[in-house]
Formats: sequence, structure tokens, C-alpha cells
Amino acid sequence: MNAVDATEHYEARADDPSPSLLTIILDTNPHAWATLEDSLPLATAVANLLVFIDAHLACNYANEVAVVASHTHKAAWLYPSHEQQQQQEQQQQQPHQNAPKHIRTDGDGDVAMKGETQGKAQPVNKYRPFRLVEEQVTRNLRHLLESTDLADVKASSSTMMAGALTLALSHINRRGIAWADAHGGDLDTAQEGASSTRLKDSATSTSTSSTGEGLQSRILVLSVSSSTDSAHQYIPIMNAIFACQRLHIPIDICKLRGDAVFLQQAADATRGIYMALAHPSGLLQYLLMAFLPDQRSRRHLVLPTRVDVDFRAACFCHRRVVDIGFVCSICLSIFCEPPENGDCLTCGTRLDLADYGTKPAVLARKKKKKKLRPNGAAAADTPTPVGTPGP
Amino acid sequence: MAATSSRPFEYLEGLPGTVFYKLYQQPSTALAIFRRMLPDLAKCFVMALLYLKDPLPAADLEIWVKPESKKERDNALSILGRLHILSNTTMADNVRAYMVTNPFASSLRQALTGAGETQSFGEISQADEDRPVSVAALDEYARRQWESVLGYMVGTSGLGEQQNPVNLSKGVKQLLQAGHLVEIRDRRVEITQDGFAFVLQDVNRQVWHIVILYVESAEAIGMDSVEVLSFLFLLSSLELGQSYEKRNLTSNQLRTLTDLADFGIVYQESPDATRFYPTRLATTLTSDSSALNNPISGAIAGPPGTGAGKEGSGFIIIETNYRLYAYTSSPLQISLIALFTTLKYRFPNLITGKITRQSVRRAIEMGITADQIISYLSNHAHPQMRKHNILRSTSNKAGMPPTILPPTVVDQIRLWQLERDRVKATPGFLFKDFVSLAEYEAPCRYAEEIGVLVWKSDRKRMFFVTRHEQVAAFLRSRANRPMQ
Repeated sequence: MNAVDATEHYEARADDPSPSLLTIILDTNPHAWATLEDSLPLATAVANLLVFIDAHLACNYANEVAVVASHTHKAAWLYPSHEQQQQQEQQQQQPHQNAPKHIRTDGDGDVAMKGETQGKAQPVNKYRPFRLVEEQVTRNLRHLLESTDLADVKASSSTMMAGALTLALSHINRRGIAWADAHGGDLDTAQEGASSTRLKDSATSTSTSSTGEGLQSRILVLSVSSSTDSAHQYIPIMNAIFACQRLHIPIDICKLRGDAVFLQQAADATRGIYMALAHPSGLLQYLLMAFLPDQRSRRHLVLPTRVDVDFRAACFCHRRVVDIGFVCSICLSIFCEPPENGDCLTCGTRLDLADYGTKPAVLARKKKKKKLRPNGAAAADTPTPVGTPGP
Repeated sequence: MAATSSRPFEYLEGLPGTVFYKLYQQPSTALAIFRRMLPDLAKCFVMALLYLKDPLPAADLEIWVKPESKKERDNALSILGRLHILSNTTMADNVRAYMVTNPFASSLRQALTGAGETQSFGEISQADEDRPVSVAALDEYARRQWESVLGYMVGTSGLGEQQNPVNLSKGVKQLLQAGHLVEIRDRRVEITQDGFAFVLQDVNRQVWHIVILYVESAEAIGMDSVEVLSFLFLLSSLELGQSYEKRNLTSNQLRTLTDLADFGIVYQESPDATRFYPTRLATTLTSDSSALNNPISGAIAGPPGTGAGKEGSGFIIIETNYRLYAYTSSPLQISLIALFTTLKYRFPNLITGKITRQSVRRAIEMGITADQIISYLSNHAHPQMRKHNILRSTSNKAGMPPTILPPTVVDQIRLWQLERDRVKATPGFLFKDFVSLAEYEAPCRYAEEIGVLVWKSDRKRMFFVTRHEQVAAFLRSRANRPMQ
């Protein structure tokens, strides 16, 4: 009856769930995929990934997706691709694909996005947004793989995870601002509000703040490379992780093979999901079950997380992954061995290593003898009340 | 999750299972229902189960959800059951398990992968058009048609002349009458209580309301409601600004198309044209209301032709002292605002007024509820208000979702309604005459968990629920089970 109290009016418009932006980083390292050939070839993995993307888009009309490829020598956009690039490709395609006679162009001469599929025999039975994503991803991926030559592959056996993470973050940031603009919310304050509440009830993690506001972003990394190869990217990766932590963007890791020291830390620090797949061939089911729920649903679900996170770091001097190292007392840089002359390589502070290597002298702790007071129990008593001195 | 209490959901829920079976044959329908009608958690369940070969044991599903979210879980499962998406099965060793029912599962899989031959997502017109219709023109068309429907209901003709009057077809008027949104008395159109509630809703809900009325009336004139419904879901998955071929449509669908064109939901140059365009009213049918901050609701609100809708949908500012400023010159909007405010001044592009106890009570007497007023105001709040109040409410009340309207105004409108509303009726079912307390407690707790419990009295061993099917099933399953 007395429904008018403070709580009900702040009730979020429940039919107004904010959309989520899923940024997928696909590790396209050829070395790693070659070893996976038997259980899960790249083509199958991409097909599974596309179904997963469609499932994500199906969840909400306004959901968005972005795909970044983390290749051996560069990180590249698979979706959405930039207009210019697309336009070039249009022109490249035109001669040999007897593509549309008539590509619709808008006022600036840009090729409209929808022009690209017009002439081909169309798979009519696909929801159009799904098809657009699928076509762009496969086209860009093919383009990326074709443009990779032998020298690139030989030069490095790792993957540009740091670059891909940074691209993903900048995209999330841009979409977040655009979304806030379009919906009248103020991004900075929304985030501030979110972070302050998050601090308060981080223990319970059932914060009310994440109900209504803003674009909910998350990153999913489909990782195949061993990250010991990418130790030279330690610093940029960690910076990206801390940025995500600050912005409350979970980084989910789906690990198909190899070990991933830093990615474990990424998932741990950002409250993402880390999963090393035992059977990579069942990728789709893993994706749909564990990685599809967005932040709102995750509050209700028991998530697969990892307890034994590998917290090792890479040293700043030789990029080695170390268990025990030296830490600059000023800037906290990590070194695997004492730097030359004792100067910190990062901040230049002169560090004193004089006694390094000597065994610390262990002092036997003196036992303090408790002096027994003569009056024993009486001492414990409060001093006898004397009464306040009278005037 | 309020989508679950919305009108389309209620309508669908009331349909018999065979209708669902026929509906779910179409991938576009499966996709639309999945997207629009399910709460988040239910979507996760469906997706997790979609590609599983064997049914998932109920215990596994229960482990997956955190214990403190039991209520959400049961609610999601209950909705999935009511929409005939998830079914209970028993596995070989007598373990209860869930699986996605078949026409739905295969259709949703088809929608995701694009397999199958049925042209479920429309056929884009291939031929070059002489005069392609721009998105702006479609919006303008939809706005004009929709506004004229609303204008007809509210009777704006008395307030000022419509700029370019659109002649409403007879079908539209009949439909509005059949839905009890308007009544004709002495040849004059009078709006009913339902009608007031209708005009204050946001556009998306209005469209749904009309669409469902249409489906209901379609049955009366001998069209297959399943066919019409699945065609509507198909429309909602089309793309704005694209034209689609008509040649593969059935005669009933063509008829539907012509009728919907009168409402501005689709556009066709003439009933004989070979192609049609869905307007924004159609393409946002299965989207959430956040996607509706679009030019349409703005354009419907704002004065036509000035492009006021471009910046967002809002035009109303309310101050904490109950003063209201609305930047509009549309006679429709002015008459809507006048329903619950005392208007003071009118300028070429602005009206001012005040929300008073008297004006709100007058509105409530006409059958408008406080919630409708509040949702109307917040749907049409000026962008400046959104920005300002979100800023403020996060600074002092961190953690609360930001409100757009001043809380004092919202509270007061509700209080004014409460002055009148002292009794609330909830249709439902009473369970009573339990033999023992234990026998009473279990179903009562179950009813609470699935969210249908309204009232209970431990002393009298009675409880009252809004829906009885599942509770009854629960009681039966207990009765069958041998006592341990």
C-alpha cells in the first residue's frame, strides 16, 4: 500500500538494458595454428567464432561487436574495417569479381556499406547484420593472411597481443563516448560513479551500479601463442591490463594451446574469465556457455575462474620471465640481475647494492623476560579511586 | 526484465502450444522472440543449451547459477517454460533435465548460421530503383501516419488545424474502435481510458499494442494469426532504408502489408508496387527501448519539418518546483501534456505549465496512472535534463541508477495517485485448506521463488498467486512422490 518510499523510484527502467560491446582479439599467429591443425584448424575456429558473434548480436538489438586480429607482425582490424581500407578493397575487388554494376555511393563518394554484397548470389536466409559481420571478417582475414609473406612469418614467432589490446581499448573508449553522447549520459561521471561504488562493494561484487548506465564493454582474447615469446611486450600488455582494470572492462581469455603468463594475470586483474580448453574442438560450446554472458548476467552465474594464477613478471632489462628478481625501490622496475653501476634503467636512480650477496645475519631474538611485579594481582587493578579533588 | 510483463509477452503467453510450434518454424520469429521476450539469464540458458546434444541435467544448471540468484533463475526458467522454449525431460537414470524444444532450437540455429532454404529474413529487392526512398523520407512518412493516428484518437482537430491532414483509412478506425481505444458517440470520436493510457506510452509500446490488436482482429476476419504474427516478426528483422521484394509473399501477407502501411509501419508507393520498405516503426519492433531514442519518437514529438528530432527525442523540462516547459508546437503533444498539467502560456515553440494536485487528479480520474505520466515525462525529457540529472544523482547517491526527473516531482505524482487508490485488485488464485504446515510451506515457498506469490498467511495456511499452473504442477509432483 505504502509503495512510496525512497527505494522504488530509483528502480532502473528494467526494460532498458544497456547494450554490450564485445571486442574479440583473435590470435592469428601461423606458428601456433599450425600445431593446432589436427584438433581445430583456423577455418573451423573462425566459423565457430562467427556463430558466437551472431549469438552475441542476437542477445540485444543494440549489441555491438569488434574483431581485432593479433598477427605476427601487426595488429589489424577485422571488423569494423575502416572506410578507406574498405574502399580500396572495393576497388581491388571490382575488376576480378565482376562485382556490382552499380555501387551506390553517398554524397562524399564513399561506398556505402551495403553496396558490397549487392551483385553476388546472396544467401538470403541470413539475418542481414549477421551476414555483414561475417562477410567483413572473412574478407579481412583472408586479406590479412594473403598479405603476410614468408619474411614476416620467419621474423617472429610471437603475436602482437599488446598492440591488439591497445586497439581494442581505443575502440571501446570511442564507442563508449559515442554511446554516451547519443544517450545523454555523461561518460566521465558515469564511470566515476561506477568506480566509486565498485570500490565500496567490491567484496560482494553485486553492485547496483552496473545495472543501467553506459555501454558495457568486454574483451575476449582467443589466444594460441605462448606468451613466453611475447615477454618483450610485457610492459605494454600490463599497461593495457591496468587500463582495463580502471575502466572495469573484463578481459576474458580463451586459451586454445600454450601457456599464457600475462594473460592469466589479465583475466585475474580485470575479473575476467580464464579458460584453457581441454578439447579445442568443442570451441563453440565453450564460447556459448562461458563467454557469452555479459556483465549483467555474470552477476548471477558461477564463473569459471582460475585459482593458481601465474603472477610471474618479465624483467625490464632482458625481457626474461622471472620468479625472483630485483626491484628498484623508487620506480618498482624489475630486473633479473643488478643493473650496471647500480643505476636503475628506468628512472636512473642510483641504487646501492653494497651488501648484495652476503648472507643476512640472523639475530637470535632476545626473549624478553616478564618482570613479575611484587604485588601481582593488585597491579592489574585500576588505581584505587581517590575521588575527585574537591574545591 | 519488465519486457516480460509487457503486452506482447502476455499475448504470446496466452497462445496454445500448437501456435508456438508453428511460429517457431521461422528462424526470424525464433530470433525475434529470443531477443525481445527473454530476460538476460534466460538468454544465457538458451545459448548454453542450444548446441548441446543431450539435455542438461537440472542439477548442473542449478550449480551454474549463484545460490543468491535463485529467484532470477527460477523466473528465467519459468518464462522459458511459458513460451515453450525450454522443456523438462527425464534422462535414462531418472534425472530431471532441460532441453531447448525442437522447432525453436533448430530455427535459432538456422538464424545464427544462416542455414536452410526458407527465406526467413526477407528478400532484398535487386532491381535498380528509379527513385530510391531515403531513410529521412521513410521517417517522415512513418511520423505523419502515426501522428495522424494519435491525432485522430486525441481529437486534435479541435486544437488547431493539422498541417497536412492524412485521411485515415476505414480499417485503422475500425481497429482502434475494436481495441476500445476510442468510442464513437453521436458520430464524435471519444477517447477511452485505455486510449489515454495508450497515447502516453512510448512509441514502441504503442506499435506493439496496435500490432497485437491487429493480429487479434485478423483472426476474426479469417486470416491465420500465426501467419500474420510471423510476418510481423519478419518485418522487424528487416533493414531500414532497404526495399524488399513482394513477389514471394502470400496473399494474406500482402493484405497485412497494405493494412500496416496505413499505420506507417511499412511504406509502399501503391498497393500494386512490387516492393515495399519497412519504416523505423517496423525495424525497431524487437529492439529495446534504448534503441528507440531515434528520430521517430523525436520527430513525432517535435514540430514537423524543423528537424528538432535530430538531436534526440526529448523536449520537456521539469523543474523541482513542478513547473514544466515543453519545446513543441505540435498540437498532439500539447493536448497530451494538457492532460495532466495546468498550462499557463503558449509561445510559438514553447508551452509552459505547472503540474498541480488538481491537474494530476483530473488525469487520474480519466484513467491515466501516475506511472504513465512519469514514463511519458521521462521518455520525452529534454537531453539537457538527462545530462544534468545523471550528473547530480551520481554525485550524491552513488550506486543508484540515475533518474531523469526530479525525485520530488516523481514522488508527489505518485502520492497524488495514492490519495485516490486505496484498493488494488490483483486477479489470481487462492490456495487454501492445507492439512499440515509442512504441506503448506513447500508450495508457498515455490510460488515465491517463481515470482507469482502475491500474499500469504502462515496462520491461515493460505496463499494467493497470480498464476496457478506451475504451482499446481508442483503440488502434483509432490503428491506423486512417495513420502520419505
